[in-house]
Amino acid sequence: MIGIMGAKVIEDMGNVGRFAGFVWQTMIACARNCVRSKTYPLIWAQMHIIGVRSVPVVMITGAFVGMTLAIQAYDQLAGMGMEERLGVLINISVVKELGPVLAAVMLAGRVGGALTAELGTMNVTEQIDAVRSMGTNPIRYLVAPRVLACLLLTPALIIFADLMGVLGGYFVSVPEPPIGFGINSRAYWSFSAAGVELWDVAVGVIKGFFFGGAIAAISCYKGFTCKQGAHGVGQACTEAFVASFICILALNFAFGVISKAIYSTFWPIKSLV
Amino acid sequence: MEKDSKKNRAEVSDGDGIIVLKNLTKTFGDNVVLDNVSLAIEKGKTTVVIGPSGCGKTVLVKHLNVLLRPSSGEVYFKKRRIDNLPENELNRIRTHYGFLFQGGALFDSLSVAENIIFPIRQHYRIKHWSEVEDLVKTKLSIVGLDGFQNFYPANLSGGQRKRVALARAIALNPEVILYDEPTTGLDPIRADIINELILKLQKELGETTVAVTHDMTSAYKIADRIIMLHNGKIIADGDADHIRNHPHHVVQQFINGQVSEDDLAVLRVSGTLFQAQFLPRDFKE
Repeated sequence: MIGIMGAKVIEDMGNVGRFAGFVWQTMIACARNCVRSKTYPLIWAQMHIIGVRSVPVVMITGAFVGMTLAIQAYDQLAGMGMEERLGVLINISVVKELGPVLAAVMLAGRVGGALTAELGTMNVTEQIDAVRSMGTNPIRYLVAPRVLACLLLTPALIIFADLMGVLGGYFVSVPEPPIGFGINSRAYWSFSAAGVELWDVAVGVIKGFFFGGAIAAISCYKGFTCKQGAHGVGQACTEAFVASFICILALNFAFGVISKAIYSTFWPIKSLV
Repeated sequence: MEKDSKKNRAEVSDGDGIIVLKNLTKTFGDNVVLDNVSLAIEKGKTTVVIGPSGCGKTVLVKHLNVLLRPSSGEVYFKKRRIDNLPENELNRIRTHYGFLFQGGALFDSLSVAENIIFPIRQHYRIKHWSEVEDLVKTKLSIVGLDGFQNFYPANLSGGQRKRVALARAIALNPEVILYDEPTTGLDPIRADIINELILKLQKELGETTVAVTHDMTSAYKIADRIIMLHNGKIIADGDADHIRNHPHHVVQQFINGQVSEDDLAVLRVSGTLFQAQFLPRDFKE
């Protein structure tokens, strides 16, 4: 029993080490790709596939998040006579937490799954070996453009999700019944403006860099290391999504702690500035 | 690095082999796939590695350009040790090799022309695209597929895919071409086209050729030298006549396509077909 557990721990530590090595090589490749204009077309192509084609699903996700929050929160606030503050509740939840996290989860499913399946299929059909056999570093050619595209465009996609979340919340809260709850538009926006700071929006968008990088790195690694056959590729896709999802939640928690600490430290001197 | 390089160049005494393997062992877990294999590939000659499926032929050929690193032993290219080089240095060495993979390994998302341009684009700064287009045309003409530039791999037959992969493998004018099962999965006529192409390339370009196959027709046709692998070891090495008359029973069984008594015994004890049909056709609950 102890032997089995020990073997499992050693295997898992080995996997963590290999993943760390993969991420390190990817970071070096990304830095080199940034200064090599020859690789820009590859990055543009991935930006189109990963970023532009994800805009509709991310916007739909954001809109439903905003609308659902309005539906769920209205009764609670109305009970206390504070329904005019619905805007601040919706908008701060959307821009700081739910927009970034749910947009990233949607990307982990759409983009991460596609990356793992594509690279996994290339792996089992020896296309990655073919890249190596022609004297090209597959991490620089295949992984770095995908990681860079995810890094750069996930924050932009989160802005789209935030925008649609804010609009979705507005269109459920402000119109007169039976379409909406008939909250005064001016009050809705003024409370929102008072409650949501640039800091909140910035934290949500900055998270996007890390979520994007994590999704791309995990998905590409799973594709590169997937086992042979259709089952191997399918399993790699599942593992990539689960690992990305957990990573997004863990990063979100870490960001929550760090951003709170930074905010608490610098908030007192804000009035002096 | 200079010191390492001098060290790497020393102690190779296998004549004028362009690629030399010394005491090469490769294991995957507890499974020993190659067991202390030593081999020198002669420059300008065609060496064919034969052996039953799963005997380690593909693993051997992937060590020649260090796509796989040995568990122990050494690999030399032009008297320079290469198995211990970092990947970025190996990438430069690998441009001296062309590799035809068993399934072709063409990039699905790229057209035929883009597949052939790929290695050129990676290693050269292209100033005049017309020259590259001419080069693609030339390479495709060599394999008899000029006019297929805008096709995608999905639209090609198995034989055409292998020929495009061959055109890609020779795009950088390599000194060594490695073929992994070049005729597997092809009908006899398409297989012979590939054999003729291998001979043509070897004759016209004078490249060193290493092919891995279990197709004896192909092996006899293209080989200057045949090596047989069995259980991770070389058990026969010589020209076609030497292999035909080799006294080892495993070699004779393999080249004549005969099953061994041991294998037949396994089949006998594994039960009859009648016993295997345990579910009666009129099975009812």
